[in-house]
Amino acid sequence: MAPEALLSHLHRADGSATYTHNGYCIIGAVNGPIEVQRRDELPEEATVEVNVRPAAGVGSPKERHLETLLHNTLRSIILTRVIPRTLVQITLQVRSLPDEEGAAGVHPSLLLLPHLLHTSLLALLSASIPLSTTLTSVLIAIPSSPTSKSGAPLVSPTATDLLRAKPIRSVHVFAFSGDNRLLLNESDGVFSFDVWDEACETAEEACCREEGGVGLVGEGMEVDGKESANLEEWLRVVVRRKVEHEQRWKVAT
Amino acid sequence: MATTTQSQPKPALSFPRSIFAAVSPHPFLQAHLTASTPAKAPLRANGRTAQEFRVPGVNTGSLTHCNGSAVVRLGNTSVVCGVRAEILKAEDAQGGGSDYTPTAEGDDDPERDTVEIGNLRLLVPNVELSTGSTPQHIPGSAPSTSAQTLITRIRSLLLSTHLLRLADLLIQYAPPAIDPDDPDAEPEKQVKAYWVLYIDIFFISIDGNAFDAAWLSALAALKDVRIPHAFWDEELETILCSDNPADARSLTLRGLPIPATFAVFEGRRDWDEEGEGEEINWVLSDPDAFEESVCRESVCVVVDCSAGRGSKGKKGPKDAVLRRIEKSAQRERVSFEHVGRPDTSGCWMIRSSARAVDLEIGALIES
Repeated sequence: MAPEALLSHLHRADGSATYTHNGYCIIGAVNGPIEVQRRDELPEEATVEVNVRPAAGVGSPKERHLETLLHNTLRSIILTRVIPRTLVQITLQVRSLPDEEGAAGVHPSLLLLPHLLHTSLLALLSASIPLSTTLTSVLIAIPSSPTSKSGAPLVSPTATDLLRAKPIRSVHVFAFSGDNRLLLNESDGVFSFDVWDEACETAEEACCREEGGVGLVGEGMEVDGKESANLEEWLRVVVRRKVEHEQRWKVAT
Repeated sequence: MATTTQSQPKPALSFPRSIFAAVSPHPFLQAHLTASTPAKAPLRANGRTAQEFRVPGVNTGSLTHCNGSAVVRLGNTSVVCGVRAEILKAEDAQGGGSDYTPTAEGDDDPERDTVEIGNLRLLVPNVELSTGSTPQHIPGSAPSTSAQTLITRIRSLLLSTHLLRLADLLIQYAPPAIDPDDPDAEPEKQVKAYWVLYIDIFFISIDGNAFDAAWLSALAALKDVRIPHAFWDEELETILCSDNPADARSLTLRGLPIPATFAVFEGRRDWDEEGEGEEINWVLSDPDAFEESVCRESVCVVVDCSAGRGSKGKKGPKDAVLRRIEKSAQRERVSFEHVGRPDTSGCWMIRSSARAVDLEIGALIES
């Protein structure tokens, strides 16, 4: 099931995106490049500021941790040196969480992290911030099977899937850049190096596997309706739709 | 980068060491790593080889007013951790607490223990940076993002490793058998209160690798904890603690997860000139503050080697269990494949050194 994305729907922000997937709904807004406070100004690069607002209540240390992770990841894909002495401000508001989230017995921040990454990337794209690459991110959960060996990995499971597959042995979040490099990894639980390797392989497939060589540009159009396309293709489709929408006058006349 | 001081054979302008480091930190470290002859392992600016960890110093039980405490030093990073146990009455417990109580030693359920400990908030870690511990820290302001990140990482690692047993933190009361017909009937134990562990981690100075130091101090302090014997007094209807030190007991921790942090240093960061020059990257273990400021990518691996300890009392590297990997992003040149794939040397380096550190520190804390 592909995530749903709505781009540039907030008119006062430079860029915005609403992202819905597996019961998670997040609104992201990007302002930038804007003026930076003297104290945060960096002489050679842009300052990136990430604010995560939880679905209920005010931010806690948990959100600060997520902000740190997002900040490190996004700073490495934004071409910060192209826009020095400016600020790129990313605000992410979690709108809704799946009901079963708390009961899944998995670290909730990890479940949220891939969705936050996607939302922030879409918002950055919508704001036309210069990026060096795109990113795709996925959650892999490895349930424990009756035997001591780990079970088959679940790719981007819903909260209900996790609940059904309980107990979960380990959870891994991977983020890959457009050129298939691993940008971020958060793994938690009990696992071995082999299990990690397998999870990484699965994640790479889900994010940016190329099927049968380099696909033609026209082929991507069919991805729309099809299921189980990889996330990078999904991202391309979202961006293509945005561009088509923006160019509709130009195309029509 | 405009500074090309290291590539010139005879620099027209030369700086003393400290000024070179301050003016252009990146070339400074790169010059250090490349300067040595091929036969010798490259040395970092702090005199260590790339794989070398600082030898940790652990001193436990130094604070009098704590149930357990530890001072850990990693080079110039020094941290004090004190664990204080306080009683939380069952009726005051947040969320009410479910009826789940671990009864015997036999049915040990780490998952449920952790859920319960998390719901009741029986573990309260806190990180504080002292004034002057690091130049980035401004005293008198609210806890910085980095401190809050550290707290979150420590709390989630404490929970996800299932380190503590709920049975250790319960204060139970077994009422005398009332039923005269069936005197053998085992009276049901009631949970009267819980022990809440306040884990306060105080940084005296930070010279890189704050997480490892904080976690080691918390672990050593938890190993050092002695909780007095507490019991429900029926007549006074309150909880009393025995003042006999012989009654006190220590916590039985599950495993001994040890973190190892690495920084990835990218040589030659002329990122706007595509495909120019070969990539040289170094994986630096246990980075200090200077290296952390230069390196953008870092990897933290938490390993537990204690599970496979058999009757021989020997721990092999085969027994290592990973508890967590955290890898932060960087500029895209290096990928984690160096770490993840067995065919590259970096992988084995991180794997083996993470294990070596685990064995070494495990021995240190247990002694």
